[in-house]
Amino acid sequence: MYLQAAGIISALGSGLGATEQILRENRSAIKPLALFTPLHGAPLPAGEVGVDFFDQRDPAALPRTHRLALAAVRQAMADSALLHPPEAVILGTTTGGILTTEQLLKNKSRQKELYQYHGLHSVATCVARECHCTGPALVVSTACSSGVVAIALALQMLRSGLYKTVLAGGVDSLSRLTYFGFHSLQLVDQTGCKPLDQNRQGMAVAEGAGMLLLTTEKPDNYLAEILGAGLSCDAYHPAAPHPDGQGAFTAMQNALTDAGLPPEAISYINLHGTGTPDNDLAEAKAVRRLFATVPPLSSIKGASGHSLAAAGAIEAIVSTIAIAKGLMPANTGLQHVDPLLGVSPLVKPLEAPVQTVLTNSFGFGGNNGSLVIGAPNGSVSRAASPQVAALAIHGYSCLSGAGDTPSTINRLHAGGSVAGMTEIDTLSRNLPSRLVRRLKRLPRMTLSLAVQAHLDSDLTELKPGSVFMGTGWGGLSETHDFLARLAESKEQFPSPTDFVGSVHNGPASQVAIMFGATGPNITTSGGDYSFEQALLAAQLMFDDQDRPALVLVAEEGHETFSPLLDASINNESALADGGGAFCVNRDRKGAICCISLPFYKSCEAENVITDLVKTLDARAGRRDYALILAGIPAAMHSQAAPQLEEFTALLQTSAPIVPYRQLTGQFACASAVATALAVSLFVSGTIPGTLTGGPDIALTESCHKILVLGLGQYITAIELCRP
Amino acid sequence: MSDLIEELKVKLIEILNLQDVTPEDFDANAQLVGGELGIDSIDVLEMVVMVEKDYGIVINNQEMGEKIFYSLANLADYIKENTPGAAS
Repeated sequence: MYLQAAGIISALGSGLGATEQILRENRSAIKPLALFTPLHGAPLPAGEVGVDFFDQRDPAALPRTHRLALAAVRQAMADSALLHPPEAVILGTTTGGILTTEQLLKNKSRQKELYQYHGLHSVATCVARECHCTGPALVVSTACSSGVVAIALALQMLRSGLYKTVLAGGVDSLSRLTYFGFHSLQLVDQTGCKPLDQNRQGMAVAEGAGMLLLTTEKPDNYLAEILGAGLSCDAYHPAAPHPDGQGAFTAMQNALTDAGLPPEAISYINLHGTGTPDNDLAEAKAVRRLFATVPPLSSIKGASGHSLAAAGAIEAIVSTIAIAKGLMPANTGLQHVDPLLGVSPLVKPLEAPVQTVLTNSFGFGGNNGSLVIGAPNGSVSRAASPQVAALAIHGYSCLSGAGDTPSTINRLHAGGSVAGMTEIDTLSRNLPSRLVRRLKRLPRMTLSLAVQAHLDSDLTELKPGSVFMGTGWGGLSETHDFLARLAESKEQFPSPTDFVGSVHNGPASQVAIMFGATGPNITTSGGDYSFEQALLAAQLMFDDQDRPALVLVAEEGHETFSPLLDASINNESALADGGGAFCVNRDRKGAICCISLPFYKSCEAENVITDLVKTLDARAGRRDYALILAGIPAAMHSQAAPQLEEFTALLQTSAPIVPYRQLTGQFACASAVATALAVSLFVSGTIPGTLTGGPDIALTESCHKILVLGLGQYITAIELCRP
Repeated sequence: MSDLIEELKVKLIEILNLQDVTPEDFDANAQLVGGELGIDSIDVLEMVVMVEKDYGIVINNQEMGEKIFYSLANLADYIKENTPGAAS
């Protein structure tokens, strides 16, 4: 796939030219933090973006993360030769608008609208608006590998043949959460960052954004080709890397295999190289294992710091600078290379032709991603191979205010409401106490769902190998408790446990550890469409012939945060939470039903409902639908009601329509509970009249499809049918 | 000394949420990190915070940390030796 244009902003500067210049000079941009003043001690070294690089025209309410993203997007989209907006946006980000939220909480603000940019999905929506993209705007949140995972997902989207141009990237701003969080883990080098050095003591937390405009159609001019991507999960520990770099090795190996290249084809390796003792050692071991002759390599994080979700995208762009300019950056900050690593990083920039680069990003949860990037015309891009096979559901589970799967499903079949908070005992019941002692609400829900869905399937002898998780808001308890203790202790004693638990991919990494799932482990965060995003990711990225995957979504209701953050949750209304999990593979034999996501577009897309109906018509006859479950987030009611009206008028179906949030309550991943309900109907074979307010409907050969419709800001359709 | 050990047992059970452990069956000499209780590097950091907060002692050296947190008895010894104003 062709990298047509790129935008980059980091402590190194703004734009490809400025970034190249500072790398050429081998200068570090790491300085004591100035963005906010810590209450105690000297500010730690950080990679901060200069104030001059922000566009002063940005609305004042827009958080720093959003502004960084916009700065990079404007660069990437500046070329007047770009006639069409991208068809999809995929962003990696870990903390979204947290810096603004921290300030609001400090001021004890209870004004809901001020928190509207907190969610990770708001960054992707903001970017999509800026570049007039009306397709899906996805967020990948896999901690520090997010940027690379976003690009890997974009690559697969393009290869599917369903999209021609995708804007992919990563972004994160500095925040108290990450600044004090990494410090609480003793992972920050107080003397500045020096990756691979014998005396390295950690990283420098940083910020930035990188955006890559990727296309399947060869442009006249382009920067580079993305040749391959590889993902893996250590399934080892929530924060520490596998000591031998097993996951790092697998990710790099998968990326090379995906690119169809042998290790000796790599001219330069851009290391993850954070400067922490454990990462650099594990990564070096993995590199030595994969490469008989190690090519020139370096980490730029001694110059830029570690910009978390942005790092993977920024370094993918640095890799293209290496290719375009024949400039391999130095391992800035390195004085005495650690002899235990057994590799020789570049001590100064090396000028030589670069054909192919391997770039690494690894994150909490043992989430690893590698990309292979090649020079223009360096090789033949892989042809599109459309992924048409739907996912086959073999087992499912759900949680709701009514309790576990049977309690929830029975009540829903009877047409009763399951809205409310899941009892903590219900969601810890099937989990060993030693395993969950450190886990708060969201990871417990996730593990409970995962275990149940797997047990429910006919695949219990095979442990799931891949995990696709969605969550609208992530671990709210952990984030809340971290910030509360930070404030209470006057910034002295934040909790390392809460920091590790606060990353959105924390729950999915727990699932990976439980099952030894070493395949792709992707967490998406799309607000009310988080389940749809996880499903889309699974549809594209699940590629395991042997082991099944888990597609799962969970949302926790949080007393303080949920009413502030989720527009559909009002202070006075009762909190609701829950989730759903599905054990899937691509084998219809023995499956309960099949699931696919044929439609996902912004409500701002032209004629979006007509387009939806056309898409559905192309797949099935209108009489095929036995039931339509419609998702109307309360905050979007005035937009969603006419959308549903238009849809029913156009589709002219006799299938009953059930607005499911009236039964599930309002929470971001309610659609997963609705989907679990749909699956349960395939198990029973009948749609009870108590649910629809009409007669019982038998699921037959000719009337065999259930649609889970998402309305509001995005229009989505999940289709379930008999295998 | 034994008072400090008992105090630490209660604190560790609380901050590490060791639900199945009682102070009575908490062996002060058993391997703490990587032992039976499933205590890992994140727990160590949580204990580092507790030691700083409750006893005013900063532990920021990994090598030293490994010795200090080898067992609860070692931790108690270290706290006793380093408590400001304590006779050494």
